[in-house]
Amino acid sequence: MSTPPAPTSGAEREAADTRRSPEVAGGSGRAGAVERRTTGQRLGKTALLAIVFLWCLIPFLWMFATSLKTTDEALASPVPWQGPWGWSNYLSVFDQGFGYNLRNSLVVASMTTIICVGIGSLAAYAGARLELGKKALILTGILTVSLFPPVSLVPPLYEVWRAVGLLNTYPGMWIAYIAFTLPLSIFILTTFFNAIPKDLEEAARVDGATPFQTFYRVILPLAAPGVGSAAILVFSYAWNEYLLASTFAPRDLGAQTVPVAIAGFSGSVQFQEPVGTIMAACVVVTVPMVFFVLILQKRIVAGLTAGGVKG
Amino acid sequence: MATATDARPAAAPGGPRPNRNGISERGLARLFISPSITAMAIVALFPILYAVVLSFYEYVGLQQGGFTALGNYVDALTDGRFWDSVIATFVFTVFSVTFEFLIGMGFALIMHQAFVGRGVARATILIPWVIPTVIAAQMWRYMFEVTPGFINWALPFVPDDFNWLGSSGWAMFTIIFADVWKTAPFVALLLLAGLQTIPEEVYEAGRVDGASAWQRFTRITLPLLRPAILVAMLFRTTDALRIYDLPAVMTRGAFGTETLSVLVQDFVIATPNPGFASTLSVLTFILVLGVGVLLVSVLGKELVLGDEA
Repeated sequence: MSTPPAPTSGAEREAADTRRSPEVAGGSGRAGAVERRTTGQRLGKTALLAIVFLWCLIPFLWMFATSLKTTDEALASPVPWQGPWGWSNYLSVFDQGFGYNLRNSLVVASMTTIICVGIGSLAAYAGARLELGKKALILTGILTVSLFPPVSLVPPLYEVWRAVGLLNTYPGMWIAYIAFTLPLSIFILTTFFNAIPKDLEEAARVDGATPFQTFYRVILPLAAPGVGSAAILVFSYAWNEYLLASTFAPRDLGAQTVPVAIAGFSGSVQFQEPVGTIMAACVVVTVPMVFFVLILQKRIVAGLTAGGVKG
Repeated sequence: MATATDARPAAAPGGPRPNRNGISERGLARLFISPSITAMAIVALFPILYAVVLSFYEYVGLQQGGFTALGNYVDALTDGRFWDSVIATFVFTVFSVTFEFLIGMGFALIMHQAFVGRGVARATILIPWVIPTVIAAQMWRYMFEVTPGFINWALPFVPDDFNWLGSSGWAMFTIIFADVWKTAPFVALLLLAGLQTIPEEVYEAGRVDGASAWQRFTRITLPLLRPAILVAMLFRTTDALRIYDLPAVMTRGAFGTETLSVLVQDFVIATPNPGFASTLSVLTFILVLGVGVLLVSVLGKELVLGDEA
């Protein structure tokens, strides 16, 4: 197995960035022309960066503008900056029970995250540090599960869930989600555990700690950032999942999650496409997620890059 | 677990054998890994075996008929609808992954160059990826839809009544487009992480040797980025083969956009037939897992060799 890059690189990278930028800006000590060219380059690069921003954000501006129009108005005019405006769509979103959907999604995603990261960190520790028979076989098995197409499990699981009464329940969803998110969280956590120096465990062992105490008292606190990264990715998987949720809990407001609700919003008038209402529901979900990403982006990126070096 | 460790004499100070301190390491490892293995076996391994069993039975609606051996498989493999969805799935995968990499690479290079607001830039490109795919699907569906018709209004060379979602070919285009919009930034992020591991000195050396920007890209960046590209490629391809949310919401599988996942799900809810659905799911499983394992073994070897070189 190759040496994975240390997952602490988030901070290191930031340091490297600041180290690099002055070097680029002041690469040569000459005056005048060179400096003007760097200003030009800076402008050009900023313009290019603006393309990336526009690509990512313009659809959201349209979404927000549409959510503020009445449905008739939204259907009548494609021009995003043409009113009249109002909040009525937001009221109708919650009239249709979107509050329940938000609650259901929160519960399902939280259950998935807690259980998955809990048992996943145990497995990752065993894989990274402990003496384990047939390690290659187990890792291959986990990798294979991560390649499973979820839809293949839908018909048989539906039959089983129907028989044992798990349709339209929370466990019907989070039990399935745990299995699908375990491979990724095990890979992420293994990378983080591997990055913790082995000397610490040796020291703990010399001091008379049992292997379990070593894990619980020494390793787990040090791996907290990795556990956080894995938790964020697992949570967002469970929060966004649609295929299983729409199959196992398609209509019942007691279990229907946010994506299923957004896919199935009906208009107040029959056969009318409720564009404004759907977009309002989308805004309600997207706005908190934007803050979530702004705050946690370093952890998310660290998790993604750690999960990427499966090796 | 706690009782298991507490029961053992934790003392034995300076004992030479570590496994005399509490539970043995091997036993602990087995204990630690068993919940994960159990969960994956119950939800992933058992159902696929159960699907194989179900696929041998004939169903009328939800009522089990008789054992039909390979009858369902013959039906599926001679059904044009199955092959159409195989084609749709692969067309989607090839085009979406290709464009995600071209655009993602562009974005990664831009973000690597820019020195202002790197944190904000990273957060911004994460937003399309992190929102639920269903939201992206509804958003792009209504932007492409004839009414309100935002895309037709925004593009001057497209007639106002052009029906993107209701014509074969273009329907698949809109789905690929929505997927590229959502995922190219994510690919960019993975590639950016790879770019940041390339030391600046290598580029300095290239510059000193008189290499042009294009030469530096093809001779330095691409070869050194190879591991990151391969890993991202593997992720994206196996993921694209399972595409469900976008076609299910944007077109409901109409106009040549019925992917394998949409097809299987249709026989679970819309026209329930557990036997035939299981047959299709076994076929999908073989196909998708087959491609996945093939990619892992080929790219995995590449990665290992790349490290040795």
